[in-house]
Amino acid sequence: MSTILVVDDEYLIVDIIGYALEDEGYRVERAGNGVKALEVLEGLAREQGRVDLIITDYMMPLMNGEELARAVRTQLTLSSVPIILISGAQASIGRDNPELFAAVLDKPFEFDALIATVKKLIGPAETS
Amino acid sequence: MLNLPRRGERIVEQLKRLVTGIEGLDDLLKGGLIVGSSYIVQGRPGSGKTILANQLAFNHVEQGGRVLVATLLSESHERLFQYLATLSFYDAEKMGKQIQFLSAFDTLETDGLGAVVKLLRGEIARQDSTLLIVDGLLNARSRAETPLDTKKFISELQGHAAFAGCTLLLLTSSRLEDDSPEHTMVDGVIELGEDLHGARSVRRIQLRKTRGSAALSGLHEFEITDAGLKVYPRIESLHSHPSNQGCETLARVGSGIGVLDGLLHGGLPSGSVTLVMGPSGVGKTSLGTAFLGASTVQAPGLHFGFYETPARLRLKAQALGMDFTALEQSGALHIAWQPTTEGLLDDVGARLLRKVKELKVKRVLIDSLGAFTRLATNPARLNEFFRALMGELRALFGSEINAPAPELSSIVDNLLLMRFVELESELKRLLSILKVRDSQYDPALLEMVISSAGIDLQKAFNEATAVLSGTAATVERS
Repeated sequence: MSTILVVDDEYLIVDIIGYALEDEGYRVERAGNGVKALEVLEGLAREQGRVDLIITDYMMPLMNGEELARAVRTQLTLSSVPIILISGAQASIGRDNPELFAAVLDKPFEFDALIATVKKLIGPAETS
Repeated sequence: MLNLPRRGERIVEQLKRLVTGIEGLDDLLKGGLIVGSSYIVQGRPGSGKTILANQLAFNHVEQGGRVLVATLLSESHERLFQYLATLSFYDAEKMGKQIQFLSAFDTLETDGLGAVVKLLRGEIARQDSTLLIVDGLLNARSRAETPLDTKKFISELQGHAAFAGCTLLLLTSSRLEDDSPEHTMVDGVIELGEDLHGARSVRRIQLRKTRGSAALSGLHEFEITDAGLKVYPRIESLHSHPSNQGCETLARVGSGIGVLDGLLHGGLPSGSVTLVMGPSGVGKTSLGTAFLGASTVQAPGLHFGFYETPARLRLKAQALGMDFTALEQSGALHIAWQPTTEGLLDDVGARLLRKVKELKVKRVLIDSLGAFTRLATNPARLNEFFRALMGELRALFGSEINAPAPELSSIVDNLLLMRFVELESELKRLLSILKVRDSQYDPALLEMVISSAGIDLQKAFNEATAVLSGTAATVERS
C-alpha cells in the first residue's frame, strides 16, 4: 500500500485530504509543518518504511513548503519522491520550481483533481 | 548616549508610528499605531475586523514592513484568501513572501498557550516580522485555565513582539469589557460596531483605549468598500480647532447683485459665512446662483449642492442671464453635485472641505444645509458639526451657506432672511439683511425680482406695514 505524507498547518485541511486519500485506499501520514514532516520521514526511515508521495502546503510555521521540498531533495533516499504543492497565492512558486514539485494544485481545488493527480504520479492505491 | 526628551518636550511626538494607511483611521490615531505596542481589535463577526487587519497588513508591506498573520481559529485561511482577493488592496504577489499566514489552532489545542507563544516568538524572528496579527483571542481565553493565564499569554506575546520591534494586533469577536484581563494588558482597543437607524445600517468605530497617545475619541462612522475600510472622523472632532486662524480682513466680496452690495456697504465680508434663510421656492438658490456668477478664474467658485443636478443648475443660471458652462470651461466655476441618497454626514463634510482645498476656490455655495441634516444619524451633534465645518471653511477662506436653520444664526457671520409676502393680492419675494459681521448695513426690507435679466432688489415695501407677518398692508396716507 502506498504511503502519502500530507503537510499543512491547518489541521482541517490535513484531515480532509487525509480522509479522502484513505477512502481511496492509501495510507496517510500527517504533519502540521515542514519540521514535523521531516520528523515523520525520519521515523518512517527508522522503521524501514517509505513514503511514496508528499502533499504540502506552502505557508506554514517553522518551515514552509518550499524549504521542506529542498530538504527532502537533499536526502538520497527521498530525492525522487514526488511532491505536490497545494497552495493559493503561492502556486506560482511551485510552477517556477519544477525540480522540487511534480505537480501544483491551486487552492481551492476539486478533490477529483487531487485524486487524479495522485494516481497519475504514484498510481492507484491497490496496484502501487 | 541616551536620547532623552528635554524638559517640556512632548514625548508623544517621539513615538514611532506604524501608519495604517486606512483612510481616516490614522487621523483617529493621531498618526497611526505606536510601533511595538499591542492593540485589540474587537467587534462581532462581520463587523470588519478581518478587513481592517488585512488592509493594514498589505499597506504595511507597501511601506516595507513584513507581516505575520496567525489564527487561533479552526477555520481555514482559504475562504479568507478568496474573499480578500476581491478587495483592491490584496496583492497575491506579497503572499508567502512579505505576508505569512499560519494556523496556530492545532498548537493551541494540543500544547496550550505557552506553546503558541513559543511558536509565534520563533516565527516573528524567522520571518523578521514587524507586524503580528493574531486572530481568535477568544480561543486563547477559552484555553486559559484562569484569567491570569490570559494575562500571561498576552503579556508574553507583547514582550516578545515588542523586543523584536513588532507591533501586535489581537482580533476578537467578543465584546471584551474595559476591566477584562485582555483590555488591561494591551496599549489600545479599537472597537467596530454597527447600528440601525430606521432601515439604515451605519458602521461605527471607536478607540476605547489609546495608551501613551492622543486620539480622536468617541464614535466615528466608517464604511466598507471594495477598497476596504474608509473611516470618517467626526468633523467636529477632527476640526475642533481650525487648521489656521484664517485671514481677518476688511476686504469685501461681491454678492453678484449690485444693489445688495450697496446695502452691504461694498459686499459680503471676505472670509465670512453667510446663512440665507427662507422657505422653499423663495429664491435662495437664485441668490446663490448670482453669487456664483461673480466667480472668476482668479477667484473661482464652487457649487456644492444636493438637489439641482449640474445640468439643471446650468439651465437655472441661463434663465437668470448667466453662462455657467462658460464659467466652468474657463475654470472659474466648479460644480460638485451630491445625490441625496444614503450617505455619511462626515464623509460629505470631508468631501466639501477637500474640494475647497484642492480647487482653491474663493467662494462656495452650499445648497443646502438641510441635506446635511438629513444625513445625520445623531441630530444632537449637528450644531457642533456645523460649527466645526464652518470654522474650517473660514480657515480655508470663507464661504456662503444657504439653508433654513435658525439655530445656526449664532454660528454664521452674516444672515440674510428671505420670505414670501402677500401685498395687494400679489405674492412678492422679500429679502432683508439681519446681520453682517463687524459691518454697517442697510436694514431695509427689499423685494427681490427674478427675471431673465438676473436678480434685482427694490425697496418696494416703503408704503406697507406688517410686512414680516407675511401679509402686508398698504399704509393709507392722510
